[in-house]
Amino acid sequence: MSESVTFLSRAEALIGTREAEAVENGVRSFLALRERVVDEFPIMGAMRSRARAIRLHSLSHLDRLLSHFADQLEAAGGRVHWADDAAEARQIAADILERTGSKRVVKSKSMVSEEIELNHHLEGLGVDVVETDLGEFIAQLAGDTPSHIIAPVMHMTRQDIGRLFAAELGVPYTEDPFELNRIAREHLRAVFLEADAGVSGVNMAVAESGSLILVTNEGNGRLITTAPRVHIALMGMERIVSRWEDAAVVLETLARSATGQRLSVYTNVITGPRREDDPDGPEELHVIVVDNGRSRVLAGETAEILACIRCGACLNACPVFRTAGGHAYGSVYSGPMGAIVTPGLHGMEPWWDLPYASTLCGACEEVCPVGIQIPRMLLELRRQAASEGRLPGWLEKGMSRYAKTSVEPAKWARAKRWASRLGALVSSRGWIRRLPGPGRGWTESRDLPKPARETFNDWWSANRGS
Amino acid sequence: MDRDVFLTRVGRASMTTRLPDPPPVSSALPELPETDLLALFRARAQSVNAVVHGPVTRHGAPRAVVAIATGHDAGSFMAWDELPASGVASSLLAAGLERVDHLVPEEGRAEHNLTYLNVDVGVTGAQAALAESGTLVLVHGEGKPRMASLIPEVHIALLDLSLLDRTLAHWAHKDPELVARTTNLVFVTGPSRTGDIEQQLNLGVHGPRHVHIVMIR
Repeated sequence: MSESVTFLSRAEALIGTREAEAVENGVRSFLALRERVVDEFPIMGAMRSRARAIRLHSLSHLDRLLSHFADQLEAAGGRVHWADDAAEARQIAADILERTGSKRVVKSKSMVSEEIELNHHLEGLGVDVVETDLGEFIAQLAGDTPSHIIAPVMHMTRQDIGRLFAAELGVPYTEDPFELNRIAREHLRAVFLEADAGVSGVNMAVAESGSLILVTNEGNGRLITTAPRVHIALMGMERIVSRWEDAAVVLETLARSATGQRLSVYTNVITGPRREDDPDGPEELHVIVVDNGRSRVLAGETAEILACIRCGACLNACPVFRTAGGHAYGSVYSGPMGAIVTPGLHGMEPWWDLPYASTLCGACEEVCPVGIQIPRMLLELRRQAASEGRLPGWLEKGMSRYAKTSVEPAKWARAKRWASRLGALVSSRGWIRRLPGPGRGWTESRDLPKPARETFNDWWSANRGS
Repeated sequence: MDRDVFLTRVGRASMTTRLPDPPPVSSALPELPETDLLALFRARAQSVNAVVHGPVTRHGAPRAVVAIATGHDAGSFMAWDELPASGVASSLLAAGLERVDHLVPEEGRAEHNLTYLNVDVGVTGAQAALAESGTLVLVHGEGKPRMASLIPEVHIALLDLSLLDRTLAHWAHKDPELVARTTNLVFVTGPSRTGDIEQQLNLGVHGPRHVHIVMIR
């Protein structure tokens, strides 16, 4: 393995820390809530199958749906922009802000905006960008990156946040979550109302009507798309379904899987800017459709990951995510979903090791509201990494020797006899507790029984018929 | 990037894509076992910290709204122009509350918005309600500002009992064209909430801290 920063080195630095512990606690509460609302909803299984069918259908007709969506949204008075990559998406957003004279920007949570590093770019241009989702607001104040797509500061304790508010907002230290919440509300109230433009993501778009669907719990997503004069929505190009009834089916699975809610507090459906009769709402609505590697993913073996609705259930279910936390992945998208999305969007270098950050236990696929075959794609990416010669030499050699030996009965029998003898050497009192070399990490958390002195084949040759 | 170039590339990609086959699904939505919709709505709305009142008569609705507003020591309100019961706004005015204008002007938007800082109560109707999740469906448009259910600390919604439905999916199937006809609709499931600080439930982070639903017979 190369000397560069890897999943393993990041994870090793995090495991056992307070951050990892905070993630484990947070994840456990999400899982318990999810289980309750899934169990009480007898048609959850049927809804998941429908949601899967809807998402896969959308992906196989993506160009037609996007084209229809753009026509419908423009007929409703909105504008659609097409961004090839992150740089172009940033440029389009910056141009809209400049043309409309928008200096004060409020944002709701958007993974695409993180993906294209929008805030950093806009701040460089002198635009004042404020994250308004409580978790994102805290992360922005701390100069930190979100560690979970649903709960961005799952890795921080209330004490961390109390100290941060005291230092950055000039308020007396408190670690009472209710008080911290009140401080953020007071601080952000006028910021919302005086902002020139709001920047949001898009949870789902509806081709047939040109509608955007935005899901939030706090109400910040509604405020930033209601109070300012300009609304800019960043949308990954795969985030579309044909019809509103289809979107409604997917929404039945989204909040249940994400946070264990039946529906999120606010599911907002927006179709164009303010119309003549509307008392409020933005005068301009711009949607920036972002490719940034997605068409390459669509053409390849991991296209199915584009069906993802970003609920975060696979993160919570994953034993590796739960042990190491989101920051171990080093990328905007973490967990099992992120291990496929990240190398897909940004290439195998340096992300090829993320698909190895999995035990392939399958819990991710089991909880996925759209049944994405995550382990299958993790294996596919591992195969790619191996065929590109990215594996460390010892593993590469070991595996190819294993492959040759295991198909020849005589060699295989000999190898087993050797393994039995070697096993006896490194075991004590019936167990192998520590292996040298590459096996060391493996035995750190596992013991294996000492191999039998006689292999089964030898026993069979000696005893059959007797 | 040019739209056609963008879409052509997407089209080419979907020609070589190897997506799994979608699972077979029946044309009709799966149905839930029948239940008492009002009882379910009440339980589910309460489970997400909304307060359900009534059912009251159409005639008794203004009094119920005034009682809720004064119970929160409200000094001002904003309201939809048309509500399922008449006389609500005039009763609030008679009780001494001040009405905040909700029409956003072409010029001076920020100044107008800042007048919302002190509005205590927002009164809205509802187009429907979803029993399974305890959700209100608010359709915005002429005389129905989005801000009324968003900026005040207290949101009071008047809901006609006959508009109860079961789930979002079932409701959406009944009038699929609705979203194309309206600029903005929102499904409200309880008061604004966050769990961002140690997954601890916190109400009223940016939107209303209190949601009262007045059921009308």
